[in-house]
Amino acid sequence: MKDIQAPTANLISKSLTNQTRKVFSWDQTIFDSLWIIFFTILFGSVFNYLLLLDTFNGTLIPEIQERQLAELKSKAEQLYPGISFIDLISAKKLYDDKMAIFLDARTSPEYQREHISGAINLPIRALVLGEIELEKILPDKGALLITYCDGGECDIGLELAKELSTHGYNNIFVLGEGYPSWEHAGYPMERP
Amino acid sequence: MAMKLLHNDYLHLAVRLFIGGLFIYAGLPKILDSMEFAASIYNYKLFPAPIIGLTAAFIPWVEVLAGTALVLGVNARGSSLLISVLLFVFIALAAISAIRGLDIDCGCFSGVERKANWLAIFEDIALLGCAFIIFYFDQGRISPIVLIKKVNNPMKKEASS
Repeated sequence: MKDIQAPTANLISKSLTNQTRKVFSWDQTIFDSLWIIFFTILFGSVFNYLLLLDTFNGTLIPEIQERQLAELKSKAEQLYPGISFIDLISAKKLYDDKMAIFLDARTSPEYQREHISGAINLPIRALVLGEIELEKILPDKGALLITYCDGGECDIGLELAKELSTHGYNNIFVLGEGYPSWEHAGYPMERP
Repeated sequence: MAMKLLHNDYLHLAVRLFIGGLFIYAGLPKILDSMEFAASIYNYKLFPAPIIGLTAAFIPWVEVLAGTALVLGVNARGSSLLISVLLFVFIALAAISAIRGLDIDCGCFSGVERKANWLAIFEDIALLGCAFIIFYFDQGRISPIVLIKKVNNPMKKEASS
């Protein structure tokens, strides 16, 4: 009896092992993916409905910019106390009244691509390395200066302001929103 | 030797646990602070607002659900396919940012600074290789779900061994 059972058990075992070897099928794979996508849409819509509302109301980008500006100001308070920020509308008023000099802290190629009309390029790296003769470009140490960069996470406008203050300039503001907000507002830009 | 290794069930389990765990770790903080993730996408300066919002709302869930499926060994092939698609997109975005010279955080892991540069691309290609191993070679023979099934059905366990 035992002799008959042993090969039968082997056959059953082999058959089960073969059954566990899955055959590749694109249909099954895509079906498996669709399950995950279904639950993604379900959970994403429920948990992030506020974000989706912001998206469809058109308030998402301003909220992101506001949040990033708050982070930049918080960073400035910790690392560069004494540096002041200026909002977009006040900066535009000073621009219109020709009372401020706008300084672009980005690299030269970035500045060449587009910049605030009339702004001077002062790449922070070149300034730190002493490649720029600051006194020639900005002879008046009391001039009202507004630095800017890319906005968002970009903090080189802030670093430029700090660097200028160490060179004795004492009337510096940072346009935290950067040139993207200036451009978005439809204010004058230069694209050579 | 290499092919034998690629067909090793324990390797598949290890890769699934690694990739699954990594994507759960990457996705959960983004779900908890979706606005922060939206800001990371905004920094790429490539997408309009609707794409940013939809991506921030749904991509973290793909990461977490696909990651969980991989850890559990359920829908492993479908999950690895989705993760591969995500990795392709991440690689493309990081490459575009590196070429444009953008010095931005890739937004991959909340609280971990990881720049969207060539190193990130290299790492993502390695992860893509892992996802391919699961997609192509993994038979899902060893996983927590299979173990639970075996414990509940010891007859099948004996028959297959």
